[in-house]
Amino acid sequence: MMRDERIRRLPMVLSALGALTLAIVPLPALVDPFRPDFLVLVVFYWSIESPRAGGLTFAFVAGLCLDIIKGAVLGQHALALTLMAAWATNLRLRLRVFSVLSQSLTIFALLTGYQFILFWIDGATGNPVTSLGRWLAPVIGALIWPALVGLLSRLHER
Amino acid sequence: MVAFRSSDTSARSTGLLLRCVLFALLAIIMMIVDKRYDHLGKIRRALSIVAYPAQVAVASPFEGWAWLRESVTTREALRADKARLEEQLRVAQFRLQRYEALEAESRRLRALRDNTAGVGARFLVGNVMDVDLDAFRERVLVDKGAHDGVYVGQAVLDAGGVFGQVARVGEMTSEVILISDAAHAIPVQDNRNGLRTIAVGTGDVSHLKLPYISTAADIVKGDLLVTSGLGGGFPAGYPVGTVTEVKRDPAQSLADVEVSPAAALDRDQELLFVWPAAGAAPEVSLTPATTKPATTPPPKPGEPVKPLEAAKK
Repeated sequence: MMRDERIRRLPMVLSALGALTLAIVPLPALVDPFRPDFLVLVVFYWSIESPRAGGLTFAFVAGLCLDIIKGAVLGQHALALTLMAAWATNLRLRLRVFSVLSQSLTIFALLTGYQFILFWIDGATGNPVTSLGRWLAPVIGALIWPALVGLLSRLHER
Repeated sequence: MVAFRSSDTSARSTGLLLRCVLFALLAIIMMIVDKRYDHLGKIRRALSIVAYPAQVAVASPFEGWAWLRESVTTREALRADKARLEEQLRVAQFRLQRYEALEAESRRLRALRDNTAGVGARFLVGNVMDVDLDAFRERVLVDKGAHDGVYVGQAVLDAGGVFGQVARVGEMTSEVILISDAAHAIPVQDNRNGLRTIAVGTGDVSHLKLPYISTAADIVKGDLLVTSGLGGGFPAGYPVGTVTEVKRDPAQSLADVEVSPAAALDRDQELLFVWPAAGAAPEVSLTPATTKPATTPPPKPGEPVKPLEAAKK
């Protein structure tokens, strides 16, 4: 049992580190608003695939990392990510039998909820983001979701 | 094909809900503590050290590429560069001669008015790290931190003019908020006639705006705006930007003024951190303390300026 869990956790940590790197790699200003929330997608994947390996603790820690790297209020991304990961975990049995399209749509809803919580906290703490660009990330995220699942399940099988 | 392989189908919804609520509460408490009391500053500084290797790792390929490109530059290009830089230096020295005379004159005049607005005395050069913080906020990460004496609220300049101010300090790095960030405001004055106002960021690096200019105010396209030094956050007299557009609608009480920033906000690599000149008096003699913007906190007590000032009095 212990051993089984350890095998499961390595790909999880590796994919999270990869996603964190992708989140801060500089992109040309033209492409930058189109960057999906890689780490969020990875957290969703693991919440659906094996909630026992990391679960909400994983989501919370990943959120804290995002807070520190993005210089946001400590706890902002952590809150959004924990709530949405819990929702994803709750939906996971249904998600697994969904078609690709329905999965992507569900992920879109989860990502939008995530952005909405961020948006709400930004407003509540007094530094709102004025551009509409942030609502683009859920669309891109939902579009790359099938590819990401393919990649991560390959990684998982190793 | 999209497929999940796991057979982990144990439904533990009650545990899930409980943990979800616990983590959410923890996050909310952290946010309140972080926002209201500044207790998490130390934790954040410690954590920023942990993040530093990752940030360096991401930035280093880009720096390596820049280094490689620089080391294979041809002799021709280097000579052209040298000629251009020499030319620039000549022009700069020529200007400097005038500047020194002007500075002396200005100091005499200010002494007459008993107001010594400080132009920055000590500088430190920092490099922007090639790390993206947030696509929708105008912030950059710079490779100088608390270790080098950088403090929150410190003014940051580049070769063209005012770049921004330090928003957060880590041990080895600091976050600089650009003057074009939508949450940033900087006290400025028109260099032509001394009209004082506040320039507010728009979230777009190409322009700022002046939201508090009345339609009757004397401001025209092409006016240079410099820092006024009011509020004490920024040293006085550094260029902020040039007025590019003034729209006056007679039906409105305020004019629509757009400013193009003097600093190269979108492409600068080297930045200057400025420490205020020793003996710089708090610039409050011009107006009562009503114009102080919320975003420029007063210098911290730990700073070298205060003791000197106290000693003088």
